[in-house]
Amino acid sequence: MILVDDIHKRYRTRHGVGKWVLQGISLSIPRALNVGLIGANGAGKSTLLRIIGGVDHPTKGSVERRCRVSWPMGQGGLEGALTGRLNAKFVCRVHGHQRDIADRLAFVQEFSELGEAFDEPVYTYSSGMRSRLQFALSLAFDFDVYISDEVTAAGDAAFRKKAAAAFKAMADRAGLIMVAHDEGTLRQFCQAAIWIHDGQAHWFDRIGEAFKAYKDTLTK
Amino acid sequence: MNHMANRAETRDPLAVTLSVWQAIFLREALDRLFDMRGAWFWLLAEPVLHIGFMIFVWSVIRARAIGGVDIVLWLSIGLLAFFLFRRTAVQVTHAVDSNRPLFAYRQVKPFDPAIARAVLEAFLMSIISAIILLAVALSGRGSLPVDPLRAMLAAFGLWLFGLGYGLFTSVWMRLVPEMKHVFSILMIPLYLISGVIWPLASVPPRYRGLLLLNPITHGLELARLGFVPHYHAAAGVDAGYLYAWALGSVFLGLLLYRRFAMQLVMQ
Repeated sequence: MILVDDIHKRYRTRHGVGKWVLQGISLSIPRALNVGLIGANGAGKSTLLRIIGGVDHPTKGSVERRCRVSWPMGQGGLEGALTGRLNAKFVCRVHGHQRDIADRLAFVQEFSELGEAFDEPVYTYSSGMRSRLQFALSLAFDFDVYISDEVTAAGDAAFRKKAAAAFKAMADRAGLIMVAHDEGTLRQFCQAAIWIHDGQAHWFDRIGEAFKAYKDTLTK
Repeated sequence: MNHMANRAETRDPLAVTLSVWQAIFLREALDRLFDMRGAWFWLLAEPVLHIGFMIFVWSVIRARAIGGVDIVLWLSIGLLAFFLFRRTAVQVTHAVDSNRPLFAYRQVKPFDPAIARAVLEAFLMSIISAIILLAVALSGRGSLPVDPLRAMLAAFGLWLFGLGYGLFTSVWMRLVPEMKHVFSILMIPLYLISGVIWPLASVPPRYRGLLLLNPITHGLELARLGFVPHYHAAAGVDAGYLYAWALGSVFLGLLLYRRFAMQLVMQ
């Protein structure tokens, strides 16, 4: 269960504080449910997702996570001067996996298909190698709820296929809160949905109803 | 991995913080020791060369002792104590900037790299100081501390002040970027007025009071007293004064971190 309580968010810009992006969002998101975030561009979907993931902080209000919530998938931080292995070790330790660190590292190295580059500094990686490592890191831990913002695994066709299968398996096993611009992707993975409109959030138990409400506002 | 999936409860905050500290400590230690070819060698060589040069300067003007302490020991203690402060302060100042990508994991808070770096610096400086001071003692120009507790009290006070100073400057540099230049220049006058390379006793008493406003001076003189109790330290040296500054700056630094934690991490 993730409890979102009366969240307000506005960003600081060069010209002082910006306008409110989110205005008083309260939600309780069950653990074992796949939820899609929908809304127009700039409605605050990614902002809300980052706040739920704890990467960004609300201007007002709070988020309580009563289960293990991932960082936004494929967007884990990598320190350029460290090798892929050391970065992976850091993430394992931060998440309390000191004991089975060898297993997790083996998984990350194998899934990311980095081979010997795993022991080279991350700044030498191509963007495809970076995102393969970031995607593998996200899958190396068992979270109750995964957070995903437009995860598009890079790499060649074979890797993309493997990543998509892993993502599907993960979505079946654990909860998921995702943003995607493609309606088909959202319908494929999510049962419920949150529609964000004018800084407010509306909960729908069925994603179809959410799209209907969203599209009604577009035709007006 | 499935046996983990059933564990629904979250970890308690203390366990999270401890594992983050451990992770950053190890990451920083590897960076400091093996970042460049022979990085660990330069950690030791830099203070050795610095102390060696100062000893050379003083021996050219044929000084043998200051305040009843052999010049070699006097300089070694003073420089090592000052380096302890300076390295801790500089490392903590840049702790957040150097770990920016890692804040993508919400478990990592801005204070975590600061404390990990400060502890790592204390650890490294203990080893470096032990090696250098042991070498000085074996060369017959010095001795092991007669009053080790007082020397440790001085070192801990300087370390704590370094931590507080670093916390304070890192927030100020974030809020007012121009301060970066001020803080990096400030270390040179601090080095010159703290009685690191020349004795405070050579200053007329009228002006000595001004120099004793600087808490680092107190730490250096205390450290020398810990090694040689009969050392003629500057009058008015007080451990309480050093600790008032150290604890005050750490408190102020923590307050600023609490207040501006978001601004420190946000892009």
